[in-house]
Amino acid sequence: MKHFRVIGRKGVGAVKRKAALLICVLLVFIAGCWSRRELNDLAIAVGFGIDRSGEQYEVSVQVVDPGEVATKRPGSQRSPVTMYHAKGKTVFEAIRRMTTVTPRKVYFSQLRMFIIGDELAREGIREGLDFLSRDHELRTDFYIAVAKDLTAKEILSFYTPLEKIPASKMHNSLDVSDKSWGPTAAMKLDELIKDLVSDGKEAVLTGITILGDPEEGTKRKNVQMIDSPAFLKYSGIGVFQEDKLVGWLNERESKGYSNITDTLKSTIINAPCPEGGRVGIEVIHSKSKMKGKVRNGKPEAEVEIRTEANIGEVECKLDLTKEKTINRLEQEFEKIIQQNAEQAIKKAKSLEADIFGFGEAIHRSNPRYWNTIKNDWRRQFVDLPVHIKVDVKIRHMGTVSSPFFNQLKE
Amino acid sequence: MEINFDEAALAPDQALEATTHPLQTSLQANLQHIQETVGNSTDIIIREVPIGKTGEQKIAVIYTDGLADSKVVIDFIMETLMLDVKQLDMSETAISAPNIVQILKDYVITVGEIKEVADFESLFNSILSGDTFILLDGYATGLAVGTQGWKDRGVSEPSSESVVRGPREAFSETLRTNTALLRRKIKSPNLWLETKQIGQVTKTNVAVMYIKGIVDDKVVKEVHARLDRIDTDGILESGYIEEFIQDETYTPFPTIYNSERPDVIAAELLEGKVAILVDGTPFVLVVPALFVSFLHSAEDYYFRADISSLVRILRYIGIFIALLGPSLYVAITTFHQEMLPTQLLISLAAQREGVPFPAFIEAVMMEVTFEILREAGLRMPRMIGPAVSIVGTLVIGQAAVEAGIISAAMVIVVSTTAICSFVFPSYSMSNSIRMLRFPLMILAASFGLFGIIIGLIAIVLHLSSLRSFGVPYMSPFAPLIPTDQKDAIFRLPQWALLSRPRLIGKKNLIRKQIPENQKPKSRE
Repeated sequence: MKHFRVIGRKGVGAVKRKAALLICVLLVFIAGCWSRRELNDLAIAVGFGIDRSGEQYEVSVQVVDPGEVATKRPGSQRSPVTMYHAKGKTVFEAIRRMTTVTPRKVYFSQLRMFIIGDELAREGIREGLDFLSRDHELRTDFYIAVAKDLTAKEILSFYTPLEKIPASKMHNSLDVSDKSWGPTAAMKLDELIKDLVSDGKEAVLTGITILGDPEEGTKRKNVQMIDSPAFLKYSGIGVFQEDKLVGWLNERESKGYSNITDTLKSTIINAPCPEGGRVGIEVIHSKSKMKGKVRNGKPEAEVEIRTEANIGEVECKLDLTKEKTINRLEQEFEKIIQQNAEQAIKKAKSLEADIFGFGEAIHRSNPRYWNTIKNDWRRQFVDLPVHIKVDVKIRHMGTVSSPFFNQLKE
Repeated sequence: MEINFDEAALAPDQALEATTHPLQTSLQANLQHIQETVGNSTDIIIREVPIGKTGEQKIAVIYTDGLADSKVVIDFIMETLMLDVKQLDMSETAISAPNIVQILKDYVITVGEIKEVADFESLFNSILSGDTFILLDGYATGLAVGTQGWKDRGVSEPSSESVVRGPREAFSETLRTNTALLRRKIKSPNLWLETKQIGQVTKTNVAVMYIKGIVDDKVVKEVHARLDRIDTDGILESGYIEEFIQDETYTPFPTIYNSERPDVIAAELLEGKVAILVDGTPFVLVVPALFVSFLHSAEDYYFRADISSLVRILRYIGIFIALLGPSLYVAITTFHQEMLPTQLLISLAAQREGVPFPAFIEAVMMEVTFEILREAGLRMPRMIGPAVSIVGTLVIGQAAVEAGIISAAMVIVVSTTAICSFVFPSYSMSNSIRMLRFPLMILAASFGLFGIIIGLIAIVLHLSSLRSFGVPYMSPFAPLIPTDQKDAIFRLPQWALLSRPRLIGKKNLIRKQIPENQKPKSRE
């Protein structure tokens, strides 16, 4: 009898354990692949644009047709991307309204490019950005640009040669020009929001525009010709006051802007030679330091730019073997960089937008003083004296020292 | 019905017990009993000869044809008894030495192994193991003469664990050959060998080998205890023994190591482990087994330390792919598309255009197809091999993709996984990983990467709970034993392998007496 009971109790324990195990196994199936999405159920959005359309937002989404992009067989007549657009009182509403035209759910994680229409940018971008920063699906590694004098929709409906996906083209070319040209501002969402909320710094966004005939760009012919009739082109940096676009920096000012804010990685600078012709240097390393201070109860800013460069091109007779020549060149380039920076500051002052973050620099060095001028900073900035120090070092001459035509007899 | 069942169950027992009779003095009675017991089996040869000058002493020679070496039987037993002993006058010697059994044993039979036997059980045992038995009329004892010698496969190359550099011999089916192979590697009197018979009907010889002084005596005792507990009618392969004595039945992981390479077994013995050799199979069991030893190959010790460590790391990567390949693919492409680079996502999505099944079903289909192909490849006659592999390649490789049933990426994932499942030096561990792949795929399809992580945590917890003959299965990682890391993930040079595994060779840890002398002198 006792023996029996022991077996019985053990049996109950084993049954309980087995039941628990069974429940665990069943739970796996009950979850039923919750929030599962197959790859071919997704419309992968790579480009996203917002425009103002009367009282409403107009949202345009560039969606990849994977079969067209990855296809190995030539001669397909379908375009590699499709654009969908819809209007709504809010951005979110417009996106959801889009499902009436899209065959699949639009998937935003792989977004490469976010374009803001010119009109909307001038009215203020604050409200439109909330959806982007709130939605969990979005990775924040896409670039943001303003369609200069155009709508985002126009930019997103463009055929681009070489790169099949236009949004990828925009992303890559902004990447490349940011690394080796300079006068663009590759802005990501988190950086933009940080600048928008900051008191001592105004936001900037790089501008994108169309070079050539905008009509031609939307046709397939644009990628069938060797010399495409129209291109997408980055041009200048848009200056924001709060969240409203107020003006544009030109190329030279943009370069100065990049130099001051230490976002310049590499660029090309030209200087005239004393005997005519020009010398070009390639900036290989650039570092700038910004300091804010208060002198006699007035704010001041100091910028120190250190640049290392290689000689890239010489179009005049220069004896580069002499140290004196190099020194003279260095001084020449220091002057040009300084002028660029000064012009950028002048332009920013005229737009009353402290895009360089001088206010932040003053805040860092003297927080108490900053609190007293914080609310009046826009006016203070217009009168802010900025001292710029530039130091250029020329490191290498390339594979030849003096230009070969020095030896030509005249 | 029930009564009949009981009778049937009892009958063989009675037959077995009947053989424990003592021998009788009458030769005829003995022979009759033998013939009755073996049922006149034709391979049991019984030869009656009268010996002595006048042939007054009747004897019988009994052996099993095929198990006994017929040359030895003819040259050293039959010839001696029928020709040489003719000179002897049995009646004369019978006066001075009354025991002819003793005379035959001491002066006549010119064979090394000989012993006196007085009961039928030992008689049958020796005849059926290949010995020759001599029965004499008028004596209740007989002589068992060691004449074992049958056709065996001989020592050949290992087929399941091949190496580029290293010995090319493998164990064979004969227990004696196998013990000899180990003796040849370890010429120490401390290499002890204990034999026992397991299986009421098969009476399979099982040998327990270990190096006295290194081995943990408790483990040896435990091995004996577990072996003695086995109660079965037959042992046909070491797998039978493994299942009887393993620590845990409900685990996908093998807790007993096996190998067909004498060099591997010798190395394990030197670490203080116990080898269990089973007659009739080339696979030798080793206890206690650690998880890492299933991932180590014999060759790791024959190549130099740097390349061995590198190859080991490669192997670990392979193991992770073999375990997680399809589940990671399923999880990432159905739950975490944001993790993929845009270009890769687009190309994967392009391949999936028009594929009718969800990624999980696709993966399961491909995995099952591959497992079937693999099983078919093992079982089918060798001549058909190429035909099946061509069909397999075409079906799962090309046609399925072209027909748009399976995406090309899935074929890549499944074939990479398949290749990775062959990097395991041990076939039994490869089976475990194969098996675990499927539950992980289900978890991945239900919960994505979270499911995979949950699965991995469960596997690691389970592994840490396992023990093999008292030794934690995951040592030297759990518990962490710093000194044993020298030969776990990496392998340090031979001169740095100074001690045995701490939990196994604890009785005699030191391998190299003077550590300073071990390192090669660098150029002064």
